[in-house]
Amino acid sequence: MRDLLIGLGFILAGIVTIVTAQKFPTLPSLQFGPSLFPSLIGGGFCIGGLALSLSQLNNIRLLISRCQDMGIKINAPRKLLTSLLPAALIVFYILSSDFLGTLLTMFIIMFSLMMIRKTRFLIAFSSSAILSAVIYFLFSHYLLIPLPQGTLFEGSL
Amino acid sequence: MDTFINGLNLVLTVDTLLVILAASLFGIFVGAVPGLTATMAVALLVPVTFYMDPTPAIAAIVATSAMAIFAGDIPGTYLNIPGTPASAAYVGESHMLARQGRAREALGINLVCSVFGGIFGTVVLIVVAQFLAEVALKFSAFEYFWLAILGLSCSIFISSGSKIKASLSLLFGLLLSTVGLDMMSGAPRFTFGVPDLMAGVNFIPVMIGMFALSELMKYYGSHSENKKVNMTSSDNVFSQVPVHVKKYWPNMLRGSSIGTLIGALPGAGADIAAWISYAVSKGKSKDKSQYGKGHIEGIVDASSANNSGISGAWVPALVFGIPGDSITAIVIGVLYMKGMNPGPTIFMDGSGLIYALFIVFILANLMMLPIGYMAIRLSKIFILTPSRVLMPIILCFCIVGAFAINNSMTDVWIMLIIGLISHLLISNDFPVAPAILGLVLGTTVENNFMSAMMRTGGDLTSFFARPISATLGIMVIFIWCSPLIMAIYKGYTQRSNV
Repeated sequence: MRDLLIGLGFILAGIVTIVTAQKFPTLPSLQFGPSLFPSLIGGGFCIGGLALSLSQLNNIRLLISRCQDMGIKINAPRKLLTSLLPAALIVFYILSSDFLGTLLTMFIIMFSLMMIRKTRFLIAFSSSAILSAVIYFLFSHYLLIPLPQGTLFEGSL
Repeated sequence: MDTFINGLNLVLTVDTLLVILAASLFGIFVGAVPGLTATMAVALLVPVTFYMDPTPAIAAIVATSAMAIFAGDIPGTYLNIPGTPASAAYVGESHMLARQGRAREALGINLVCSVFGGIFGTVVLIVVAQFLAEVALKFSAFEYFWLAILGLSCSIFISSGSKIKASLSLLFGLLLSTVGLDMMSGAPRFTFGVPDLMAGVNFIPVMIGMFALSELMKYYGSHSENKKVNMTSSDNVFSQVPVHVKKYWPNMLRGSSIGTLIGALPGAGADIAAWISYAVSKGKSKDKSQYGKGHIEGIVDASSANNSGISGAWVPALVFGIPGDSITAIVIGVLYMKGMNPGPTIFMDGSGLIYALFIVFILANLMMLPIGYMAIRLSKIFILTPSRVLMPIILCFCIVGAFAINNSMTDVWIMLIIGLISHLLISNDFPVAPAILGLVLGTTVENNFMSAMMRTGGDLTSFFARPISATLGIMVIFIWCSPLIMAIYKGYTQRSNV
């Protein structure tokens, strides 16, 4: 079932790629324009996605068992949510680091991830504080990366 | 000789030697922690190598990858959980030996075979790469086009599992490679008005997303960790090694040869080399019944193969700019960043950089012996490092590392999006190696095709007009027809049996 959906997703992505590629400007002197390769890739997406979907549709027994598999997975939304947690925290970093600064944002990310995995409060707090400071100073002072310092403390962190 | 001495001078500096030592320790640590792969270690290392000179930067990658592949055997032996996928083939044998109280003996022979395999692969790299480079000097756009297509085709047909999924994964990588300004017309493609995307998708955030972020998401989606070493190990690390080496030296040679060959094939890394070598070992062994019960022979073959595969993968990467595995795909990006354009001309460079690279390989593999010994003695500290503390640190490294490439949040977004897509694909059994090859080789395929077409006025038959080009073209066609040929052959043999 999941392969069927992914196959359909690839078909959709293929169509979008082909349509977008047709809008690329080209030069009359060129026999093959900038749309050639993206269009071929889009076509490949459609064919591959179709083959993947059909391979699922042809085997109904497999389809049913996969549906049952999926049913089990649907019963575990917590796992899905926790797997998306790192991604959500990256979005949090992108949105808040300019205001909070990298040091504080990294501390919050580390501390919350450790607490979610039931690390002891003292260990989580102390290791998050020390390690976020080490990473921050390694990159900003030693490698001279201009990491966001944050407007909250007027760049004093 | 002068270039060799130049190479020696580049390596034998305090800075480079310290970098090799530090990278070795980092590689041992990452390899020994279950769930962290050698590719992930290298991807996380790249932002730091960005600020190093070329020789220490490459030395760091070589040392990290070699050590991580060996160290993957440590949790495999004690916990039956391979530290890296390259150790998965023989983890059962190592663990069975550990349960018999022979953990250090198993790790000792693992270590010696890894060192032997690594040096064997390096010798092949030194000999074959120079020879191939002379041939490659005659290559033009036609040959490079076919060579890249050959590499992409291999990545599909070598991958385990569904070939449709491997093809779609490859196309995903190829699509990423088309982002940015078109080489011929200068038209922006899939940039969505973002100026940072004009130069294309940066390779390093993609790698961090594919290997580090997707692994983090897998970890947080799994059950809580339960790492507990139940066994004691008081045996000696090296006492039984001479006995095993004397008995199984042909296996070491065979495993190393298979590993180097498989490693040199695009898309097939150390893990596939280990699986194939283990299968060959079992098939040819006189003690087949002992396999799975803790048999040293299988460990000898496979652990020689995975480390030689790491060196073997550098052959196509250095000579043709075509990565043999995920690690060399990252290395190619680093080589470009350091102004060492991979290809036959790298061997003509008089500064000795290529010799420095060879020396680094040998040095890193030799250093594996004392550092590996130390790691075996301290095994339990490494494998009991709690992932719940380690994973948040890795996430912060991912964010800062992706940002550090261009000091841009766009790269953090790229890492996030690629990480999400990769997680979706990996959790549905899509192989990732074809996607990486697609990303690395996509530009090579398109640019060489376009420049060949401009040169010949759009004549497609010109791709078969030159002898080497035609040979490579026929090889590609043969690879693509191989499933059909195999099906016809199977049908024919079945009918003749009836």
